[in-house]
Amino acid sequence: MTRLTCPFCGPRDLQEFEFRKTLPEPDSNAYAQVYERANRLEDSLEHWQHVHGCRAWLLIRRNPSTGQVLKLELMGGGGP
Amino acid sequence: MKGPEPRYSAWALLRARLAGTGYWRPLWSGRRLREAYDVVVVGAGGHGLATAYHLARDHHIRRMAVLEKRLVGYGNVGRNTTIVRSNYLLPENHYFYEDSLRRWERLSHDLNYNVMYSPRGIVDLALSDGEMVGLARRGNAMRLAAIDAQLLDRRGVLKFAPELAASGPRRFDIVGGLLQRRGGTVRHDAVAWAYARAATALGVDIIEDCEVTGVRAEGGIATGVETRRGYVKADRIVFAVAGHTGAIGEMLGVHLPIETHLLQAMVTEPVKPLVSSVFVYVYPHGECYVTQSDRGGVLMGGFMDGFPSYTQEGQWFRLEDVVQSAVALLPQLASLRILRHWAGVQDMTMDGSFIIDRIRYDNVFVNGGWCYGGFKTIPASGAACATLVATGTAPDLIRAHGLARFATGHLLDERGGGPFPVRL
Amino acid sequence: MSPAKVRVGSRLASAPVRFSFDGRQYTGQRGDTAASALLAHGVRFLGRSLKYRRPRGLLTAGPEEPNVLLTVGSRPTVIPNVPAPLLVLTDGLEFRSQNRWPSLHCDVASLLQVGGGFFGAGFYYKTFMWPSWRSYETIVRNLAGLGEAPGVSTLPPPAIEHLSCDVLVGGAGPAGLAAALAAARAGARVVVCEREPECGGELEFEGGTIDGRPGGQWVAAVAEELGRRGARVLTDTAIVGGSGGLLIAHAEPGGLAGRNKIYQIRPRHFVIAMGAVERPIAFVDNDRPGVMLLGAAERYLARYGAAAGNNLVLFGNHDRLYAAAGRFVAAGLRVRAIVDSRTEAAVADGGTAANDLRAKLQRGGIECLLGYAVLATEGRAAVHGARVAPLASPHDERRIACDAILVSGGWSPAIHAGLHEGGKRRYADCSAAFIAAGQPEWRTGAGASNGALDLAAVVADGFAAGERAARAVGTAGSAGPAPIAYGDGPPRLAPFWSSPASTDQEKRQFVDFQNDVTVADLRQALAEGFIDIEHIKRYTTLGVGTEQGRTSGVLGAAIVAELKRETLLAVGTSRTRPPYHPVTLAALAGHRSGQQIRVTRRTPLHEWQEGHGGVLEPAEYWMRTRYYRANGANAFAAGVAEAARVRAVGGILDGSTLGKIEVAGQDAAAYLDRMYLNRASTIKVGRSKYMVNLREDGMVLDDGIVLRLADDRYFATTSSGHAGHMLAHFEHYADTEWGGRDVALTDVTEAWAVIVVAGPASRDTLRDVLGSAWHADLGRLTHMDFATGRWHGRELRVLRAGFSGELAFELHCRPAIAVPLWQALVDGGLEPYGLEALDILRVEKGYLVGAELNGQTTPHDLGMDGLVELGNPCIGRPLLDRPAFHEASRPRLVGLRTVDGKATILGGAQITTVAVPNRSVGHITSAVYSPALREWIGLALVARSLAAEGTQLVARDPLRGGDTAVRVSPLVHFDPSGERMKS
Repeated sequence: MTRLTCPFCGPRDLQEFEFRKTLPEPDSNAYAQVYERANRLEDSLEHWQHVHGCRAWLLIRRNPSTGQVLKLELMGGGGP
Repeated sequence: MKGPEPRYSAWALLRARLAGTGYWRPLWSGRRLREAYDVVVVGAGGHGLATAYHLARDHHIRRMAVLEKRLVGYGNVGRNTTIVRSNYLLPENHYFYEDSLRRWERLSHDLNYNVMYSPRGIVDLALSDGEMVGLARRGNAMRLAAIDAQLLDRRGVLKFAPELAASGPRRFDIVGGLLQRRGGTVRHDAVAWAYARAATALGVDIIEDCEVTGVRAEGGIATGVETRRGYVKADRIVFAVAGHTGAIGEMLGVHLPIETHLLQAMVTEPVKPLVSSVFVYVYPHGECYVTQSDRGGVLMGGFMDGFPSYTQEGQWFRLEDVVQSAVALLPQLASLRILRHWAGVQDMTMDGSFIIDRIRYDNVFVNGGWCYGGFKTIPASGAACATLVATGTAPDLIRAHGLARFATGHLLDERGGGPFPVRL
Repeated sequence: MSPAKVRVGSRLASAPVRFSFDGRQYTGQRGDTAASALLAHGVRFLGRSLKYRRPRGLLTAGPEEPNVLLTVGSRPTVIPNVPAPLLVLTDGLEFRSQNRWPSLHCDVASLLQVGGGFFGAGFYYKTFMWPSWRSYETIVRNLAGLGEAPGVSTLPPPAIEHLSCDVLVGGAGPAGLAAALAAARAGARVVVCEREPECGGELEFEGGTIDGRPGGQWVAAVAEELGRRGARVLTDTAIVGGSGGLLIAHAEPGGLAGRNKIYQIRPRHFVIAMGAVERPIAFVDNDRPGVMLLGAAERYLARYGAAAGNNLVLFGNHDRLYAAAGRFVAAGLRVRAIVDSRTEAAVADGGTAANDLRAKLQRGGIECLLGYAVLATEGRAAVHGARVAPLASPHDERRIACDAILVSGGWSPAIHAGLHEGGKRRYADCSAAFIAAGQPEWRTGAGASNGALDLAAVVADGFAAGERAARAVGTAGSAGPAPIAYGDGPPRLAPFWSSPASTDQEKRQFVDFQNDVTVADLRQALAEGFIDIEHIKRYTTLGVGTEQGRTSGVLGAAIVAELKRETLLAVGTSRTRPPYHPVTLAALAGHRSGQQIRVTRRTPLHEWQEGHGGVLEPAEYWMRTRYYRANGANAFAAGVAEAARVRAVGGILDGSTLGKIEVAGQDAAAYLDRMYLNRASTIKVGRSKYMVNLREDGMVLDDGIVLRLADDRYFATTSSGHAGHMLAHFEHYADTEWGGRDVALTDVTEAWAVIVVAGPASRDTLRDVLGSAWHADLGRLTHMDFATGRWHGRELRVLRAGFSGELAFELHCRPAIAVPLWQALVDGGLEPYGLEALDILRVEKGYLVGAELNGQTTPHDLGMDGLVELGNPCIGRPLLDRPAFHEASRPRLVGLRTVDGKATILGGAQITTVAVPNRSVGHITSAVYSPALREWIGLALVARSLAAEGTQLVARDPLRGGDTAVRVSPLVHFDPSGERMKS
């Protein structure tokens, strides 16, 4: 896995970021939201935070079998 | 095959020496995949092989295959830091882990294979009086269950492990520790080979290079598995593929309470005895465990990499974290060199405890979710899982470890970490 | 035959360097390594092998040296396992051989050699079981382990430099230099890392020209041009690993000089030009001192003028033998024979230059044996002769006297750095080895690491790789024409791995020298069904030593292939793992070791407390005062005294470590209602409330006081050390499920110091200290009210709360006035107290101390039923309805007293019923000696069914003292009606 490109800060080392969780399927109930994970080998949708940077929360789609980042976007809050 | 594999002993070694070549037989290889089995175990790691062994030995199931994607013992059973212990807080866990430790104590004899169980003790170090209270809680719980545990003050720790005195005052210094003397290490690869050999001797077919790609079912009952080598009928199917249990769940249409993470380990060049025991050193946002192998390499591990991955390639910064922790604990290690570092793929469950249960179908079972503590449970897991598969009823030792516990709230959360495997 | 003892035209300065090996004094030349100096002294026998303790000498001239590892220095600061070729001599350096006792020449354990074969692969797994492994382990451990364990490390932390560049080139041999040159000419910013002290790689000894110049001159010209173009060339610097687009290089000049440096390099493209590692050939007793790899002998001769021997036999499977022989002869050494495993027919086709050279050597009287192999060596602790035979009739053996056998079975590309992040092995026929394929777009292999063998091809491949790299990073310039090189010519290698031998002799055909893995071991592993190379590696320990398979990996795999009658391609090699080059823990730990492992956070009152007898201890990153020395002989006595004084008079406590988060915005109130179990929206401005957070699964996450500063502004406190985590938790919801709302979150932990003023005298003292401006507020404030104002010109908030059960205030002030305010309170008659006393005060009042918030407790468990019943739909609330949380076995927070009122109870004791002594029904979370009640009291989590007041239970503490009869008491031990707090 290479560096992550923060929409505000540009390409940054991985250790500036913290992974929070893999997301459950959309529209799942309260239990599933907390406990169930979609464990797809090549497609993982995740919440990360640029915690040692601008603190923005990111929605990242990755391939956990290769580390490749497929999509990276800012979460809803509008960032720093 | 030219006959049964000979029993191991010094005497046999001598005879082999006199016989030249041709004395030893293959431990497990050479079996052919058959069309149908009573039980198919998926995964020839520690848990799969031990399950098959116990199904054959304790429940007399003979038509059985272990199907392995790659090689016997190629996964986490050969990638861990070889630590065995039963110093758990929750009764649902410590009785199970203790059952495993008792099996480790006699496993070399049971399997006629030296797995090098080395009870050198394991010390969880406390860095404050508050942590001593936490360790006391855990140690007292163990003692109620008749499991050995000792609470050491600082002086006791340094007496037990004088190498820890080599440091000046640490940023987070040692106040005491919880010692389990029967904890220690086991030669990891030997465990897989020993079970593979023993299961083969009981008639189990171990088929390597045979990836399972699906489960076929009719009328709500699984009928067999699709493999890279074709369809195999099975009355009962057991998945023991820790590291990929989440993916098996997806294959079966179940979103499991599991996230898959990497855990790094590393080993130094071999040196003469330096680390006398197993040390666990946890401080704010840092963690390591350190031991030394019989060959002399110092083994170290620590936190997970921190995000889901199946790559088996750890992040360099995490390697540095582990090394920093180890040097903080044992500064004399700084002169040694790292020879190898690697990463294992872990099933991390949402309460930190394992899962052995049915999954999706009444005749399909899952043995997984071992988090970073699967190796030490292999003997107990094999025995208990075999009982569940053979009798249909979970034995007491694993009754609490079903999948339903997350929905009912009967969680087995040793650390209190909740549904976040990664919390630094 | 006496061993060589010559210097033939060394390039080294002649300044002498004295050193000691195994207690004997020697003199070397400045620039010598331990290996070259001892070789020049004719000292061959330099170490013993791990398992059989066989005599060993130098095999290589690099970090892959398997045989001669040295222990440097004296106890306790020894550094073990230093490869002799890497240890650069300094005056007075002392080092010694390893794996021997009592001395190198007289080793007791070498008697084990008698049992050779008995100790073959898998030996340990088959025996040492009775009565237990433990009974043998101590002996085994002491025999294993290579060098002595250091007792102390004096290695300094590395300097650290960050580099970012367009193209990073690993290796400054001909390929690496060509790549760097091409990239730099094209306009790329280039960094080159070379493990050796000098650039040039094999150009140091290989003949030929590049762009019409001899190798050495070309290297100097390229280095000069690279410097001119702004490239950085780092010698003595090995790339050791990396991930995530980051590569780590470690500079270690002189091996142990200590002035080491870590480079963290972020290149846009990485060219791997790390060369290839020469491999040995398996023949009987091929581990005898005097057997050396051909390229190593060339390097020792060219760089140090140290000859591997005076009478040489060269043995190999390619044309490079002849060019090398020519150079040895030119240096004045005697080449007794060149043993070439290729047949006459195989070499006849093509290779005119090599064939001409062979003819010339033959004319000069050198025996060139085609289709021959060295079957065995003769001698004891040094080679005295080679037994050679034609491969067509291996029984026709004859002896050639010699003092060194220089072996070359070909070269295995150094591909470690190309095998992760997508890289895969690919078999390269021409070198009978593997190269790294499937490279990500930011990485390229070049030269010998990419399978090129001939200098012309190496230079061309390197230059092309540099050009491609420069293009990949978008440089516009042109690299111009590639250098034209002529070298020794293509080696025309024909795979040859092991000489003919009987199965018994295979026990002395070594494949992995360090671990004593022989052809017999490989054969035995196969017989036992370990047929995959990964299994064979693990079973035989092939390639798991300090050389990590660099010399043994491909050789072992090839012999396995022969034994299995498969191709090397089909067998493959075992997985390699980083680091690419062994690296010290000191270098990896960097400056984050010792006291620097974590930051130390100090409150504004730190120095004051330290200067007034405060005993400070770590609490997460913070340092906090546990007690003051003046108040007692130890923490217990001082804590009791301090707590008693707070109740009698009063006291002050540094609470600055509390986490503090400001929450502002139009939606702050609604947002906080989602984040807390109880509602923030109902707090009035100027008031505060005790609030509780739940984790997503319903467990209590944290608690604290929330102040409403304005309609749209709150000030939330968290437990000490939790602020960072709580802020991330808050931000997560502000940006995800609650995204788009008007909420801003700021960590203001360091912006406010907190002084807790507690006790009957607190209000009066505050009146005096704060002055008349505050009198009205101090009189007005009721419990949980706060007032804002200034003191000495700085902001101050006074909150009436304090969690001691006394009349108490929290002063939130700017750090600048923390010390004067604190001092004024002390001068006003209040003495400080520490955490020990704080815990006593809290347990007396039934407040949560900390161990109750262990991530395993629900709000019901902690008696917060009232808060849950508010029905606030906060995070974590839905999952509280799970059935397990309402069972009688769930814990309940209760007070606990001893039955006799005298016994001691401690936190961490387990609780059982009187009837069932081995089933825990709860545990003591916190216990203290209460000076107010004059007995031990506790807080405990006890099964709900047993939580009724008065229930008799047993506190079981086998670890520390045994059993104590206890009974459940009211949670609030002291002043249950709260009179004192409200006064």
